[in-house]
Amino acid sequence: MKEIKEVFLSGSGIPIKRVYTPEDIADIDYKRDIGLPGEPPFTRGIYPNMYRGKLWTIRRFSGFGTPEETNQLYRKEYELGQTGFSIAFDAPTEAGLDSDDPRAGADVGATGVPVDSLLDMEIMFDGLPIDKVATAIISQPMISGPMTAMYFVMAEKRGLDIKELDGTTQNDITTALGCLYLADQIPPREQMRLCIDFIEWCEEIAPKWHPVSFDSYNYREQGIDAVQELGLLLATAIAYIEEEKKRGRVPLDKFIRPFTFNMGCHNDFFEEIAKFRAARRMWYKIARERYGTEDPKCWQFRFHAQSSGCTHTTQEPLNNLIRIAYQVLACALGGAQSVHANGYDEGLCLPTEQGMLLSIRTEQILQYETNIINTVDPLGGSYYVEWLTSEVERRTWEYIRQIEDMGGIVAALESGWVHRQFMEAMLEHERKIASGETVVVGVNKFKLEEEPYKVPIFRPNPKAAEIQVEKIRRLRRERDNDQVARALKKLKEVTLSGENVMPAVMEAVRAYATVGEICNVWREIYGLWRYPVGA
Amino acid sequence: MAKPGLDGHWRGIIVVSQALRDAGMEVIYGGNMTPAEIAEAAMQEDVDVVGLSILAPGYMKLVAETIEELKKRGKGDVLLLVGGTIFEEDIPTLKEMGVAEVFRPGTPLEDIVQFVRKHTPAGSSHP
Repeated sequence: MKEIKEVFLSGSGIPIKRVYTPEDIADIDYKRDIGLPGEPPFTRGIYPNMYRGKLWTIRRFSGFGTPEETNQLYRKEYELGQTGFSIAFDAPTEAGLDSDDPRAGADVGATGVPVDSLLDMEIMFDGLPIDKVATAIISQPMISGPMTAMYFVMAEKRGLDIKELDGTTQNDITTALGCLYLADQIPPREQMRLCIDFIEWCEEIAPKWHPVSFDSYNYREQGIDAVQELGLLLATAIAYIEEEKKRGRVPLDKFIRPFTFNMGCHNDFFEEIAKFRAARRMWYKIARERYGTEDPKCWQFRFHAQSSGCTHTTQEPLNNLIRIAYQVLACALGGAQSVHANGYDEGLCLPTEQGMLLSIRTEQILQYETNIINTVDPLGGSYYVEWLTSEVERRTWEYIRQIEDMGGIVAALESGWVHRQFMEAMLEHERKIASGETVVVGVNKFKLEEEPYKVPIFRPNPKAAEIQVEKIRRLRRERDNDQVARALKKLKEVTLSGENVMPAVMEAVRAYATVGEICNVWREIYGLWRYPVGA
Repeated sequence: MAKPGLDGHWRGIIVVSQALRDAGMEVIYGGNMTPAEIAEAAMQEDVDVVGLSILAPGYMKLVAETIEELKKRGKGDVLLLVGGTIFEEDIPTLKEMGVAEVFRPGTPLEDIVQFVRKHTPAGSSHP
């Protein structure tokens, strides 16, 4: 029969048939491959009752301007019904530079919140119920220790018990070194040392905290497909486990137990759902069969998902509301524990108030009006979805094998292989946009001559840099600089001796050392890495 | 082709650089640099075009500084292009400052290539 395309491919290039029947899933065994939710292999969900027991967390990645302004933002989000916090640091902070670094200037508070020291963390969370609401600290490895230490010291000062504190620290090396340029980064192997030190220490003093959230959202933003995204994600987690295996300091059950993941949710509706289901099945196999863990908590692929920013357009921004709604629906049908719906104005600016409100409402409408939460894994048993889940899984194992064959993710980062995968994907995407093979409504198809409407835009406080510079200078005058110097000296010693760096980081943070001062200790010892991108 | 400041989102600069290379132009990829470093490289390499990619809202200041640094080194006459998440309402101001054209997300790569071809001496495009 004549069709509108010669071949129908999924986003990752899987040829899709006209119709799927029981024959397509004849090799799939319900008990072995699908199972009940909350039971191995967890394909249908990590908990038996999923959203009937607890709705997914509405958690927006946000922050801008100054810690004071971000505090106001977080209070507002909480009032509107958000159920988790997620800190978006500005570019200088994410790189581990202070707000008064000569290069920071126009970037202070521009795309996130500046946090120079414990003081800023305290300001940011003033009046917020951090004992009831979990925070995700979206930090790269160099700043994960300092930022989390600041959060923990802040909690301690409030009289909270760190052992009861719930939250997450991202701490993902592939994001930091593969997905965007961060200034002044130490090389991959040395960063891995910081990642693992942090996880080991965190598991000891804060057992309810999640010391890593492998972040394929950012990998996916580079233009790669669902199979590559999932493959890189699991390969990164495997690398961390292999590192701990080498160290032999912590039993793997304890090490793996608090792992979490953070994925993107792209355009191909059913493929994204299949990706999430495949992820759960694969993680179970990795944690139990490959690494022999016995604690069922280790086998659960706990994940946060975010609507993919790279699919949102600058043209006709309200179209993004629709894209985001579909993507968030896929996250929910895919069984995410926590979801971030982007602002519709993602292609223009940081979210306006309107963008923020609509992104929270998108999730609430899904949770409260559509009844999709009534049953677990409603797409389970669909011939198409079960077939696609297995096909995504099969292709992902092959991709992971490629990465392992070259020595794992750290080697793949050092050699620039990861960056080349990303660059090829970006360029291929542009080629398909230019040819029309990939359609972006309103951009390369159905494009209007003039933008049909205007939307409000958000400009962060242009005085943020001034405010932060003044604050940090005052901090440096008023704190006990001897205490800071001693703490940084101790940090240098333990970094060189190979001991876990975190107790020393905590002491430095208590003394109000800045994130730049702490990171500089490591930069002086390890030197800077040059990203294998560009020239 | 460079990214002034610390915003590290590199997808735009990578694909535009490649499109210009594919069109036969010699492209120097600077990555993230300070305005002074950008101007220095532009002078050392004696370029015809400087492309700045910024996906952060502080671009006014960064573009202004880059222009100042270029002028200091006698490169105030390069074809200056800006790409990224630039607010439409700021485009006239940027052009008054000396930016030749602003390319926002969704711009067909071919449009950028054609613009550079049109505004640089034929056969010697060296962005």
